[in-house]
Amino acid sequence: MRRLLGVAVAAVLAAAAVGSVASAQEKTIRVGIIFDFTGPFAAGGSEAAAVGTRIAIDMINERGGVEGYRIEPVWADAQSKAEVAIAEAERLLTQEKVAFLMGVYSSAHCVPMAQKVDSMKKFLWATVCVSSAVLKGKNLQYVFRPQVHSDQYGWASCTFLNDVAKEKLGVVPADLRVAIIHEDGPYGAGIAAGNEQTCKSYGMQVVLKEGYAATAPDLSSLVTKLRRARPDVILHTGYNPDITLFLRQAKEQGLRFKALIGHGAGYAQIDRLYATFGADVDYVFNVDPVASQLLDPKSLAPGLGDLIAELMRRYQAEKGPGDVPPHASMGFNHTWILLTDVLPRAITKYGGFDPEALRQAALETDIPDGGTIQGYGVRFAPPGHEMAGQNLRSWPVVMQFVSGKARVVWPSAIRTADPVLPLPPGHAYAVQ
Amino acid sequence: MAIFDVFLLEAVLNGLLFGGVLALLALGLNLIFGVIDVVWICYAELVMIGMYTVYYAHVVFGLPLLLAFALAIPFVALCGVLLHWLVIRPILGSEPINQLLVTGGVLIFLQAFATLLFGIDFRNLGVSLPSLALGDIYLPWSRILAAATALGAMLGVWAFLRFTFLGTAIRAISQDRGVMPLLGADPSRIYLLTSAIGGGLAGLGACLLVLQYDVHPAIGLSFGPITFMICVMGGLGNLLGGFVAAFIFAQFVSLGGYFFHIEWGYVMAFVFFVAMMFLRPQGLFARRS
Repeated sequence: MRRLLGVAVAAVLAAAAVGSVASAQEKTIRVGIIFDFTGPFAAGGSEAAAVGTRIAIDMINERGGVEGYRIEPVWADAQSKAEVAIAEAERLLTQEKVAFLMGVYSSAHCVPMAQKVDSMKKFLWATVCVSSAVLKGKNLQYVFRPQVHSDQYGWASCTFLNDVAKEKLGVVPADLRVAIIHEDGPYGAGIAAGNEQTCKSYGMQVVLKEGYAATAPDLSSLVTKLRRARPDVILHTGYNPDITLFLRQAKEQGLRFKALIGHGAGYAQIDRLYATFGADVDYVFNVDPVASQLLDPKSLAPGLGDLIAELMRRYQAEKGPGDVPPHASMGFNHTWILLTDVLPRAITKYGGFDPEALRQAALETDIPDGGTIQGYGVRFAPPGHEMAGQNLRSWPVVMQFVSGKARVVWPSAIRTADPVLPLPPGHAYAVQ
Repeated sequence: MAIFDVFLLEAVLNGLLFGGVLALLALGLNLIFGVIDVVWICYAELVMIGMYTVYYAHVVFGLPLLLAFALAIPFVALCGVLLHWLVIRPILGSEPINQLLVTGGVLIFLQAFATLLFGIDFRNLGVSLPSLALGDIYLPWSRILAAATALGAMLGVWAFLRFTFLGTAIRAISQDRGVMPLLGADPSRIYLLTSAIGGGLAGLGACLLVLQYDVHPAIGLSFGPITFMICVMGGLGNLLGGFVAAFIFAQFVSLGGYFFHIEWGYVMAFVFFVAMMFLRPQGLFARRS
């Protein structure tokens, strides 16, 4: 955090210094960027996403900016609190006079912020939050999200199970017992709803579905109920520290299962999970937009492999060696899409970067599958669509942790490893 | 579902053990209020400091865990003394709301300070205690230890207050702040001693919590409000009341969460709290005036 603050302060000072000297000959676009740099969300992926975002902006500026405009980020800390996130959004738009907003980690922040920004007729580019409720049925005009949404997370884990149940677990989907547990904000509740709908559509038995507060100090009664319900597979959506609390209490109370599938956020922080649990988190699955380094660059458009390598190099130079979490890819990728596709078109075709120009430009985005570093393409749902503003070409993958590394195990077309389930004998959570 | 089954028994027992954790936290806060008449809203943040102390002593500096505990308890006790000396002492005569606001300010300060000093990462000891298996019932030793320590601390504090000269002085001050100085006793020393004991109990709580939870700057948010609520439910300043209230609250959470959704456990606990505020606003066991 100190390093990040230091870098942020240095960046602001540097920008100010450069600006004072060069303002005469340099055009800038001030962009408001909201992430959580303090509070529990910071370590849950928000900081990683912010670093990815900054790397993208740095690289664009080093290449001369966007159509001659230098991108000047104005960072805001949502402090892991929804009311702070909303207040910061308003401050950035009205006092800092930023051209538009981007970022936002938590769905609990994103849902109200999207409504508010849209009602102000300002432009929001949501890069990380996933809740479908941000856009679903809202018909927002100025909010766009290239990111995967929660219904897709819920769909992916159940469809993966449907595909592998017979081969790996030896049971038809109708005999598969599934428990769905989740933090009770828009993020967890949204994914859990997608889980329940999809798993039931495949005929699976949902033996328990339950939410809890991410700050709950005790989950032992939830673990007791899971033991009573005897699920084969647990589908879990949480932040941190609730995920570590659950895994710790599950082990202490003797909970056993055949597979555990997480859905992003806390489950995306592989290094932290391994630091806490060691081999106990081997073979845990995680559904998320893919961390770009896990994709085969040959499956992507030319040049994207080099882009991924540069992202990895810069991220690890700043954060040290270790796994680069998917959130870094999300922050980078979605910022890159905005700065290389939407913003140039807004400036050249629609005459600037006001909300209307950005909106028109975003609606014309048409990036085919394989055209971004996370594999998916980009095409936004038009006004009037149930998911207006949502990228209709995004998709998540199922990854599995093995020996501290994530491997893509689903969908089959791009998988880099065969999924391992049920948990092998001797695993801390394996059914003996 | 059979109403009385092994899982229900496990929920009851785990509720008891969770109650022990909460009782230990409530003990120090109650003692402070009972004697000094000031609520340390930032009490859970002192616990957080204690957890970081254990983490750094054990993981970063490689000291044995027990030695780390032995360092953390007096360190947090010292923090308690400093808190009293620097923050509480100047506002002892102020309105209670001002005192609350000041300790609330300390809470925010400590959270922000911890974020700057320790970073945002979740840290843990990497220590995993086993569980006691009684047939199909699993009881984590980390919680058994916490509950037993809570009971021991409760008895220890009671014995100290009841049987020692200093304890008698503390009780005397808590019963009448005005008269004791007239009899030649120095309340400021008693306040410092009480703050040290309260801080030490926060340190003790930290040693037991760090075996069960990751430490991060916002860990206090998970325990601070609940601890305060338990103290109010038991009667602020009433050690026995807080102790009993902790177990009642934990059973609401555990059994409510077992029979209904886990969130309902907390809802029922809070509804009970609100109802008690109407029925017995002075607390379950009213403090003798």
